This record gives sequence, C-alpha cells and structure tokens, in this order.
Amino acid sequence: MWLPVLGLVIGILLGLMSNFSIPDEYSNYLSIAVLAALDTLFGGIRAHLQNIYDEKVFVSGFFFNIILAASLAFLGVHLGVDLYLAAVFAFGVRLFQNIAVIRRILIAKNSTK
Amino acid sequence: MGKKKTLSFTFITMIIGLMLAVQFRSVQTPEVRDTRDTWQLREDLNEEMELKARLIKEIRANEQKLAEYETERKQGQEQALKNTLNELKEQAGLTDVTGPGVTIQISKLDDELLLDHVDYTLSPDLLRRLLNELNMYGAKNVSIGGQRVINTTVIREIAGETKINGRSLKNFPLEIRVITETFEDAQELYNRMLVSKAAEEFFIDNLKVNVLDPEMSVTVPAYEDSIRIRNIESVKADKGES
Repeated sequence: MWLPVLGLVIGILLGLMSNFSIPDEYSNYLSIAVLAALDTLFGGIRAHLQNIYDEKVFVSGFFFNIILAASLAFLGVHLGVDLYLAAVFAFGVRLFQNIAVIRRILIAKNSTK
Repeated sequence: MGKKKTLSFTFITMIIGLMLAVQFRSVQTPEVRDTRDTWQLREDLNEEMELKARLIKEIRANEQKLAEYETERKQGQEQALKNTLNELKEQAGLTDVTGPGVTIQISKLDDELLLDHVDYTLSPDLLRRLLNELNMYGAKNVSIGGQRVINTTVIREIAGETKINGRSLKNFPLEIRVITETFEDAQELYNRMLVSKAAEEFFIDNLKVNVLDPEMSVTVPAYEDSIRIRNIESVKADKGES
C-alpha cells in the first residue's frame, strides 16, 4: 500500500535533484502528460477498488494516454487550435469522476465496517 | 493487493512524481533579480568594455597578420623572380660588381730603354693568354680598360687595333681589374701574377705589367651593351611538357 507513495516521493526527489528542466515550449506537453498520467493512476485505483483491475489495461493505458495527450497537443499547436484544452478537459472530467467513485467506494467500505 | 500490481503502481507513481517535479522546476524557474547598485554596474560595465577593447585589438592584430600573409603570398613569386633575374644579371655581367681583388696595370715601357720609335700594340693573343691565366687563378669578374669581360666577349684585332667588345685598347696605361671570391684568393692571385710568364711576355711588346697590391674593394663596371644572342631561340612550351 505504501510502496506507490514511496515511489511518488522517490520520483519527485529524483526530479528535483537531477537539475533537469525542459524548454518552455515543451512544458505544455509535459503538463498534459502529467494530467494523463494522473488520470490513469486514479483510474487504476478505482479499478482496483472495484475489483476490475487489469494489469495490461493499466500499464498500456498509462503510456497510451500520455502519448495520445501529447500528440493531441502537438496537433493543436500545428493547427493553431488549442486542442490540448480538449485533453485537459477530458482528463479533468475523468479525474473528477474517478476520484468521486473512489470516494464513494471508500465511504461505502467504511460504513459497512 | 498483488505484488505485481503494487510494483506497477509504484512504477507509475514514480514516473508521475518525476514528471511533476520536472514540470515544477520548468514552470517555477526562480526569477533572478539584479541586485547590483550603480557602482557595481559601473564596474561590471568597465570590465566588459575592457574585454571588448581587448577583443577588438586581437581582431585587428589578426586581420593585419592576415593582410601581411596575403601580400607576402602575392609578392612571394614576384620577389623570387626578381631575385633570380638579379642573380642571373649579376652572373651575366650586367651589373657593377665590387669585391676583393687585384688591379693590374699595363703601361708602356720607358722610352729610355727603347732603341727607336716603336708601336705600342697590345696583341690580342697575349691579352687572351693573360685573361686565361687570371681565370685559372680564380678570377671571378674581370674588366679590361673599363670593358667588362663576359662570356661572349671577343678580343681581336681589327684593322691593326686590338679591340675588346668592339672598343679599342690603345690608351696606356691599361687597367685590368680582377675580382675574386675572397681576399685570400686575391692575395693568391696577386702572388701568382707576380711570377706569371704571360706578364713577362708583355715585355716583348714593349709593355710593362704592374700588379698592384690586393685590395678589399675593387669595382668592375657592368657590361655596357645589351647582350645579343644569335642563333638561339627559346623553346616553345606548347605540349605541356617541362
């Protein structure tokens, strides 16, 4: 249970200590990738709680979502339309939904105890 | 939670953490504030100006060097050709030459020694013999009576007068100037000429050979006319063969 949290901490520390930063024009892509990753993560947690978790779906969804989001943003830049907003919107909505589901499940679990 | 599941979650949270941190760093680049006061700014400006001056100086020096190399490259061949030309002119005898050497005077024999009136003629054979002897003993440049002796110089008798380069030799005393390589050579030539047989034979023609002491600086005049070369033609370089 605590291992993923530890992983998160390690990742953050690694990122902060590596003194690595990306150019300004690519920060859009990274932000949307972060959003996609978070979406996948919460989706994974929800699936786990609903007992419909599938390893392959989770891992492939993680990378696929990131790539899709980044390419959408890329396309948007080249079309002159802020397409990345669509990704932000979609991921944001799903993030909220997932978190809401997780919350309900946790509440239901707590109330049954 | 299965072990595999935990591992993949850990992996993904790690990646998310990494991305978050990088994004954080990229977006939150701390604003660097300029906190220097006027004085420090001035000093910094001075430093930069010095650097600029130094760089400009360097550029100028390099450009100058470049220009020098350019001109050197251009003049190099020309200079080489000129040098060669001068060398060849000197060898051919078209220039005045000064160097260590010996002066030989050929003068008339005193009248008292002579029985009756005679012609003072210098025979070309004798002069040629003397010249050969001089050349044998290391003469480099020779002039006879102010006429430079070069490769094509002809000494011959024309209408009873001995002529060199087409000019008469009848004004006595006649001066023969000889330039040698070094002063030592001049001394050796002087010694040899003192005991020379050719010199003695001038006596027959009622002439006297007087060899003066070797000098450090004897001047031989240049050949006066232009050298005419007959029956010689430059090779036409048309086939690209050298």
